[in-house]
Amino acid sequence: MRAAMARVLAIARKEFIHIIRDWRMIVAVLVLPLAQLLLFAYAISFDVRNVPTVTLDMDKTTASRAYLDAYSKSGFFQVQGSVGDLAGIDDAFNRSQARVAIVVQRGYGDALAAGRTGSVSVLVDGSEPNSAQLGQTYAVALNQALGRQALATWADSRGMGSLHVGTLEPRIQAWYNPERKSADFLIPGLMIVIIMIVTVQQTAVTLVKERENGTLEQLLESPLTHSELIVGKILPWAALGVLDTVTITAVAMGVFGIPLRGDVLVLAVGIGLFIVCALSLGLVISAVAPSLESANISALLISFLPGFMLSGMAFPLESIPPILQFVSYLFPARYMVDIARGVFLKGASWDILLPQVLALTVYALVALGVATVLNRRQRA
Amino acid sequence: MNLRRLRLVMWKELLQLRRDRLLLPLIFMMPIMYVIMFGYVVGSDVRNLPTAVIDNDQTAVSRQLVDAFSSSGYFVISARPSSEASLQPLVDAGQVKVAIVIESGTEASLARGETVPLGIIVDGSDSKTASVASGYAAEIVAAFDQKLLASAGHAMGGPTIDARVRVMFNPSLKSVNAMVPGLVASILMMSIMVIMSQAVVRERARGTLEQMMVTPITRAEYLTGKVLPYALIATVQTVFVVLIGLYWFNVPFNGSVWTVALGLVLFTFTSIGMGLLISLVSRTQQQAQQTVMFVLIPTMVLSGFIFPIESMPAAIVPLTYLIPLRYALVVLRGAFLKGSGILDMWVQFAAMVAFAVGIFGLAVSRFQKRLAE
Repeated sequence: MRAAMARVLAIARKEFIHIIRDWRMIVAVLVLPLAQLLLFAYAISFDVRNVPTVTLDMDKTTASRAYLDAYSKSGFFQVQGSVGDLAGIDDAFNRSQARVAIVVQRGYGDALAAGRTGSVSVLVDGSEPNSAQLGQTYAVALNQALGRQALATWADSRGMGSLHVGTLEPRIQAWYNPERKSADFLIPGLMIVIIMIVTVQQTAVTLVKERENGTLEQLLESPLTHSELIVGKILPWAALGVLDTVTITAVAMGVFGIPLRGDVLVLAVGIGLFIVCALSLGLVISAVAPSLESANISALLISFLPGFMLSGMAFPLESIPPILQFVSYLFPARYMVDIARGVFLKGASWDILLPQVLALTVYALVALGVATVLNRRQRA
Repeated sequence: MNLRRLRLVMWKELLQLRRDRLLLPLIFMMPIMYVIMFGYVVGSDVRNLPTAVIDNDQTAVSRQLVDAFSSSGYFVISARPSSEASLQPLVDAGQVKVAIVIESGTEASLARGETVPLGIIVDGSDSKTASVASGYAAEIVAAFDQKLLASAGHAMGGPTIDARVRVMFNPSLKSVNAMVPGLVASILMMSIMVIMSQAVVRERARGTLEQMMVTPITRAEYLTGKVLPYALIATVQTVFVVLIGLYWFNVPFNGSVWTVALGLVLFTFTSIGMGLLISLVSRTQQQAQQTVMFVLIPTMVLSGFIFPIESMPAAIVPLTYLIPLRYALVVLRGAFLKGSGILDMWVQFAAMVAFAVGIFGLAVSRFQKRLAE
């Protein structure tokens, strides 16, 4: 047993020296994840603002100007300028200079003054659905407010006193994340994706490289067993993965003010298991891939795609087809994103997250086993 | 340039691809996996949100309001808890994503002409759902108010504003329609960068580059023969993606094939240039892979492909102009959905030409120099 330990440590030490020798590797493993975190956390959000907007005022009255003014002041629509006719709107859309166009029809001002219906249209470019969706929402809400204002002004000018029309006012609360900060939601998930990308990429090539350099045969000659080799290969990367996690967590809490509401121990156990899962996935690739290229490309496919798309990190998974739901359970990121988000945001603890932790445990054992078996077969 | 020698280099490259039993299947699986995942996961639209209703008012107005929510198609009323206390576990367990709380006395207060708060609770731990759900909810309430206001206005003989909000080009607001054109460009870039940089670095790492250079082949022949097979593969992948998009996801195509083709050709040159530059700065295949990731991730995030540029903070936005994919995206979405032509998008095309000439030119000249050494 002690001899086995010594052999595992020897492999781990050898692997560690490989890493240290290559400064670009250190950068890739320690600096890049942080850079990615900062980039994502600042750039990603679903809160659209400043949507480029053009206006077409066919009425040219005080009322129409006041109406269009309300859009400039809304903070959502960024009025870029006005166009002279409907063709100008087509042009602005075709050139992608505007996503929203507001048209005030002729006679708008007169209609309002006479107590009739003033017509406006709001055109939204649907080729960017996220912005278009919100543009539509804001336009409807803004028009409701403006309609109320128009009615109030009219009632006032007629000396009918203040307006008494009951309306509903939505009071929207977002539970768990009251300020609706996208960063709070995204960073726990990002952490997982970044770790997944770093770890799978690195281990996917380790065995292939030994094979291509012919050093695997030399290792085979030594008294080393298959599982010792696998464990020794994983250890230094696991340590780096943990280091990454700690750094990212520190930045998330220190720079972005992400709360850590739940049980840290659950998070630590979860992350530990998750790193083992990801590294084993990498080793499975390493055992199967015939060349560095296919190892690299499969690692990209396996870590980047499911990590990003199927983990629930940014995109809700409820509405995807059942077959993809099923596939998402085949990758460890889905469980870990639940754990991270649960612990960071919802203050969850063992009682709620036990199923996910168990799933990761089973996953880690199976993946490690598969990696060992495949590796043994490859060598036989 | 001798065509026979060129053909031989290309042939060698293809043979090498075939020797690796995993590589070719991977190359063709990649675009399919990407289209399916992007189409179904990123392109999935938030609909039918499980919603709880706490109706403490139980009047005609409150029922109308609930109807307005359930008939919108975005909310499915799946629970009617009696109080906010019994709502908590439902949201905690993720069984409902949205809750509507109608206070008692809502109808009476409305009749008195007061402004009545309507409670809408969204699960903020799911950012996209939260933002979309609160948007829909605000829209439904605004439309509801608009009706109240219009009828009051009519009763008083006062003015109303009739605002028609119309979505152009993609009236159903299906995300997949915007996703597929973007995917065409992303896969083209990703494939060229990943596969080509690997192939070029491999030759150097194994020392076979020197063997090539002692043969009568010229540097230009070598470079063309090395690049062309991968450009061809990327073209096949792109066609794949377009076909899946058009026939499986029913993405409309309103533009001209030539606009798309010109855009893609320019973008291919940019991608080849980036792939070559990456292989120049990398000594091993692993380093090349890491450099690709280093370029790829910011490209995906900052181009507006997944996350709209309008949602980025003002400090980040200038960075997006440095991302070639940004322009390709505007061109492809414009051509697919809006039918925009080359002249409409000349700004984007100019930027793409600049990138293609700049990056491809730099890469080729550096590469030639490296070969000469």
